[in-house]
Amino acid sequence: MDTPNLKDFVQRIHPLNEVELTAFCSGWQPLTVKRKTILTAAGETERYLYFVNEGIQRAFYLGDDNKEATIVFTYPPSFSGVADSFLTQTPSLYFLETITASSLLRISYDQVQQLQQQYAGIQQLIFKATAFALKGALQRHIELQCFSNEEKFKTLLKRSPHILNLIPHKYIASYLGMDATNFSKLINTVSI
Amino acid sequence: MKTINSSNLLENLMEQTREIILQAEHLKKMPLEALEKKPSKEKWSVAQILEHLNIYCRYYLNEIENKLHHNQTTATTNFSPGWLGNYFTRLMQPENSGLIKKKMKSPSNAQPANVPAAKEMLDEFIRHQYRLLNLLQIARQHDLNKNRIPISINKWITLKLGDTFRFVTAHQQRHFIQIHNTTELVKTCQLKKLQFAE
Repeated sequence: MDTPNLKDFVQRIHPLNEVELTAFCSGWQPLTVKRKTILTAAGETERYLYFVNEGIQRAFYLGDDNKEATIVFTYPPSFSGVADSFLTQTPSLYFLETITASSLLRISYDQVQQLQQQYAGIQQLIFKATAFALKGALQRHIELQCFSNEEKFKTLLKRSPHILNLIPHKYIASYLGMDATNFSKLINTVSI
Repeated sequence: MKTINSSNLLENLMEQTREIILQAEHLKKMPLEALEKKPSKEKWSVAQILEHLNIYCRYYLNEIENKLHHNQTTATTNFSPGWLGNYFTRLMQPENSGLIKKKMKSPSNAQPANVPAAKEMLDEFIRHQYRLLNLLQIARQHDLNKNRIPISINKWITLKLGDTFRFVTAHQQRHFIQIHNTTELVKTCQLKKLQFAE
């Protein structure tokens, strides 16, 4: 199967040699799903590492007030899946669903394990991808705890300006930890 | 009869089961009294609906697990639904509009208790859903056509494994529409009472 986006993406995280790259890209299965499809339920252990070719996904946690708190978005080109559940093989605390119709590739945990054991480069690749994900998660933790709404909004626009047109605003508001009305005020007042 | 790609079928059923888990998790956040309240004398409470679904899960998931465990088969690319499987699934399936076509009476062996405990029923139900997800995953390595499961009301009538999964899932979807309607009814009942008290 031809996987050009995946190859480009991987080479930018950690360049693999030709043998490693071929081995890494060969085990993936395509999966096309409609919008609003739950890929992983809370309580389930993530079986797959996904790669997003098309579409947007979000992870959300179901709070006690029955509100869904959006934790993270994924969009092409990037990995997706419940990363912490996948890496630890313990049940996920939250749901992963598609926001729009999505075209994905996926590979199973066992296959990734095997590849990592066999190829040092792939081991490095997974380590780096995990390290960047951890860095991103902690950075966001700082933003959520210390930034004002306006700062959060501006940081998001700097990092991923395109998502404003792609993702329903209620999800972005939740992702930034503010209510939808405050968010729409920001859109109207903050000069971009 | 039209055949379905086996792996797509299992994938779809897993997606539907996860959707049911999300809805069940929403119920977990509701007050238990609301789940145990009957909207009217002849209507079931949410807890009763859940017990009814649990009765089905207890029977069918055990049967499926035993079949998968004892009969080694190999996966086939396609699954051809049986006529009975199609009939039962269509009978249960909600319409695209999300409405239930016609009301049915549950068989006497699947009648819930009068006041089942909501928390126990809900926890048990969610446990069954994870088990169902696992069985759907295991079924990827099996022939969905060959294994046959006797239906709960008559052991001489059997459904293909693939049809059993379809039926169980459609049955749950049907009753989750009923659960949604019931919680709405219970909410309006409470509102009316509050207004009356004022």
